[in-house]
Parts: sequence; structure tokens; C-alpha cells
Amino acid sequence: MKELLEILNDLRPDVDFTTAEGIVSEHIIDSIDISSMIAEIEDTFGIEIDMEYMTNENFDTVEAMWAMIQELQD
Amino acid sequence: MSITSLSFMLFLFLCVVLFYLCPVKHRWVVLLVASVVFYAIYGLEYLPFICFTTVTVWWAGRRMGKLYEQQDEVLKTLRDRTKKKEVKALYKKECKRTLVLVMVLNIALLCAVKFLKYFVPAINRVLDWSGLFQGEFTAAMIIVPLGVSYYTFSTVGYLLDVYWKRYSYEPNLARFALYAIYFPHIVQGPISRYNTLGQELKKELRWDTDRVCKGVQLMAWGFFKKLVIADWLNVFVEAVYAETSVAGLVYVVAILFDAIQIYTDFTGYMDIVSGASEIFGVKLEQNFNHPFFSKNVPEFWRRWHMTMGGWFRDYVYKPVTVSGWMKNLNKVTKGRLPDTVRRYIITAIPILITWFLTGLWHGTGKTYVAWGIYYGVLITLSTICTPGLQSLGRKLHINMDAPSFDVYRMVRMFCLFCGGRLLTRPGSLHMSFQVVKTILGSFQPWTLWDGTLTTYGLSIPQMVVELACIALLWWVSYHEEHKGSVRDALAEQNLVFRWALLYGLVFAIIIFGCYGPGYDAASFIYAAY
Repeated sequence: MKELLEILNDLRPDVDFTTAEGIVSEHIIDSIDISSMIAEIEDTFGIEIDMEYMTNENFDTVEAMWAMIQELQD
Repeated sequence: MSITSLSFMLFLFLCVVLFYLCPVKHRWVVLLVASVVFYAIYGLEYLPFICFTTVTVWWAGRRMGKLYEQQDEVLKTLRDRTKKKEVKALYKKECKRTLVLVMVLNIALLCAVKFLKYFVPAINRVLDWSGLFQGEFTAAMIIVPLGVSYYTFSTVGYLLDVYWKRYSYEPNLARFALYAIYFPHIVQGPISRYNTLGQELKKELRWDTDRVCKGVQLMAWGFFKKLVIADWLNVFVEAVYAETSVAGLVYVVAILFDAIQIYTDFTGYMDIVSGASEIFGVKLEQNFNHPFFSKNVPEFWRRWHMTMGGWFRDYVYKPVTVSGWMKNLNKVTKGRLPDTVRRYIITAIPILITWFLTGLWHGTGKTYVAWGIYYGVLITLSTICTPGLQSLGRKLHINMDAPSFDVYRMVRMFCLFCGGRLLTRPGSLHMSFQVVKTILGSFQPWTLWDGTLTTYGLSIPQMVVELACIALLWWVSYHEEHKGSVRDALAEQNLVFRWALLYGLVFAIIIFGCYGPGYDAASFIYAAY
């Protein structure tokens, strides 16, 4: 979880991601940064995020992202 | 059978009678038969095309769904992570094969009917050389099935959603066929999603007097927009663009009228088909949300032709953004290019690809390619420049929350929309350039009051009626944007007032509408896409 928060804080240091909701649907991380964010997550956790996981629900909170990462690592 | 014709009204009436005479559980069958008949009336030769798409997509969806079910069964029996990954990869590969095969077939078919006209000389050379065909192959021989862009996109969207496990496949071919060919959405959309329209069509479709009345009201409003506003404005715009010597101011009026025409033409169609569909109890997806209140280009495209914008966002923009080569580009450029430049490149590529394809979807000529690039560049600039402009505005102490600033942004957006129309409506880029040149070089402001404007098919009383109708349209849009649905507000009024209003609308269409033997009502603009 700590590494995931580091990736997100690199993109938006001004946001407290531990409490943030609607990270993608509310454009907290905008379209410019989504591609970078996904590339970083894939590299850091050694996973590949397919299109089937690219839903707002999977990226709107840190908890949802973390749950998705763990599922993909399984 | 145009949907503004009397024959369509008769067809709809018969469908409604048969639909409600039929037992509830079989009503969807009436809709399926009616949709096939509707499609066949347009052209029997179109049927094999839509049948091919329906059957292949349904088969592929079913096959992928069954493969995923098998995969889940196998995974239940496994504990080892590596084995599980191997099984998943194996099934995914098989599903991908099916997906690619059927998608390529259907998109190739769409491209063939849209692009084949550019290859007529080459085809003739091949036919001459091979001796397979005696006579000349012409562009007129190419069959372009009704609504081919719309049904191909709807069904390909379903296929991708099943592949991405967004929802389960449809096991019943007839049910899937109804989703593909449902007559209110087949001609020019909306580009419906299976998880919305497919589910709507599966509901128990029962009579509801309030809903039927609202459907009829919406249809009447749609007819009003199309026949009273769009088609008369079309008379003026066509006459202006047919002339070779036109004053700059007249072109400006034509550009403004053209923007309102395409809006009323397309939303008029949507209101008619959505109203017709509501009579059966089937809600079509919203396609417009008062786009002229948009303050920037991205917002405009979230409000204009929403189902098309949503389709390109979900099935082109997002996959491109997260594609392997975009991720690689991200990695390769990191540290090698300045961060700002890198971010601009990563932002621009998916947007430009999406809008280039959106342009091609609308039309295959140079004008539509230019139109796609125009919006691609505008959206890229908007995405990249917005944070900087907001910061600049704050430094200059501009109150960007003031209503006057919103009005400025809406007017700016309307002008940008007119700029986009100017690329396609005159017919060629050369003509578009000539129009701009005339506006800048020969404006002739006196043509506003010297009677010139009345020489393009609309008399002064007709102009006054059109302007009054546009004012009414604006009031309705303003009410819906700021205060809520006009139909809901009307539903709270007493019965006499509601009926008087409906009769008023019908009489307005009869008195002021552009129809009848002396007129050729313009076909719907978006039906050509």
C-alpha cells in the first residue's frame, strides 16, 4: 500500500490519497496522468492491468486499487 | 419510410396496437418483427448485412462467454498460482482469437461499404483483367446498409464488453437481434449499449397512460424541431451555399442557422424516436444534454451525441491510453524528454487518434478528416492549457466564476462549433476557405437590412417565425438546464392547459412546418453517417 501511495503522491503531491474518493471519476488524477500511473503500478507490482480492470470502480479509491493489485498478483 | 412521413406514423400506430394486443411476455417478439419489417421497407438488400453482423457478433459473444464459464470451472479445481495463470492466459488467448476474427470481419465490412467508392477505378481494372465481371462497376452499385455505422458500433461495443467481462453474454439470438435492429435506434442511433438497451427490452413492457402521453409529447416536440425549425433553416443554408457570390454577413447568418439546423435536426430525430420508444415502455439512452450551454470543447462532447462520444471514449481512447505501446512510450521518454513535453505527447496521441477516427466515422472525405483533426487539436489544447489559463486568470484577477464569464465561454464554444461545421457543410475545404475569405474581405453589413437576406428562400414573416421558434427552443433548453424537465413541469399543469399546448404544437407543425408536395423535407443529416 505504501508503494502505491508513493506513486500517486508523485503525480499529485497536494492530494491526501488515503481519504480521497473518485480519484479517476472526479478527475483527481486526470487523463494526462492515467497512462503514467498505470505504467508505474505495473512496473512496481509486476502485474499487467488488462482493459477488463480499467473501470472507475477499480481506480476511484486507494483501497479499490490495492484490492485490484492483490487480485492480479494472485 | 422517413420517420417524419405519414407512413411512419401509420406504421407506428399499427405496431402499438399489435404490441398491446399481444400478451406481455411475447411483446418483444412484436418489436422484433416490426423492426425487421421496418428495416426491410428501407431495402431488402440491406437485410443480409445486418443479419451477418447480428449472427457473427452473437456467436462470438456466446463463445467467449462459454469459454469464460469453462475457465471459472477449471480454476475452481486448481490451487497452484502458476497453473491458474497459465489457464487464464490460455482461455484469454482463445477468447481474443474469436474477438479479433469477428471484429475484423465486421469492421472490414463497415470500411468496405464506406471506402469502396474511392477504389472504383482500381476495382474496374482488376475486373477487366480477371474477366470476372462484364460491364462497369460504379460507386452507385455499392450497397450501404441503413444505419451500418450505428449497428456495427453498438454490436462491436457488446463484443468488447463481453471480452472484458463487463457483463454476461446474451444466450438468445432473437433477443440479441432485437437489440441490434430495434427500429427506433437503427437509422441514426443512439449507439446503444447492450447493458442498457438490451435490459430495457427484457423488461415486462406494460401499458402506462402517463408514459405513453409523455412519449407522444416528446414526438410532437421532435417533429416541431425538425419540420418547423431544421428544415426551414436548411432551405436558407442550402440556398446560400448554392450561390457563388454571397456577402460575408449572409455567410455568417448561414453559419449560425446551420449550427441551429444540425442541432434541431439531430435532437428532433432523437426526440421522435425516444418518444416512439417510450410508447412501448423502452427508454433509449440520452444522446444530447443541451450542448450549447457547454463552456469548453471536452464538455461539449460530453453533451453532444453523447452515445458516440462515450463509445469512442470507452472503446478507442481508453484502450489506446493504456495500451502496451503507450506504456512503452511513457517508459522510453521518461528522463529523456523534459517532463512537460513528455506529458503533452502522452496526452495528445490518444486524443488525436480518437478524433481522427471520429472524423472518419462521420465521413470519409478530406473535410471530415480535417474536422476530426480540428476537434482533436482543440481537445488536446484544452486539456493541456486549462491549468495554465486558470492560473493566468487568477493572476489577472479575472472572476472565472462570474455568470458573465460563463456566457463568454458558452459563446466561445458556440463559435468553435460553428468553425467545425464550416469545415464540412460547404462541401469542400476550398469552399470553406472561400467562405472565410468572403467574411473577412467582403462583409457588407448593409445586407442585414437591405432585403438581401430574404432572397435565400425565407421571406420576412418566415424569418420572424423562425427566430420566434429559436427563442422558444432556447427557453426550453434554458429551463431544462437550470430548472429541470419541462415535461415534468407540464405534467403538473391541469389537463386543459396540457391538451391546449399539445394541440398548439401540432397546429404549429401543420401551419409552419416544411412538408407537403411543394417541399422536399431534408433527410436527417446524421442518417448519412
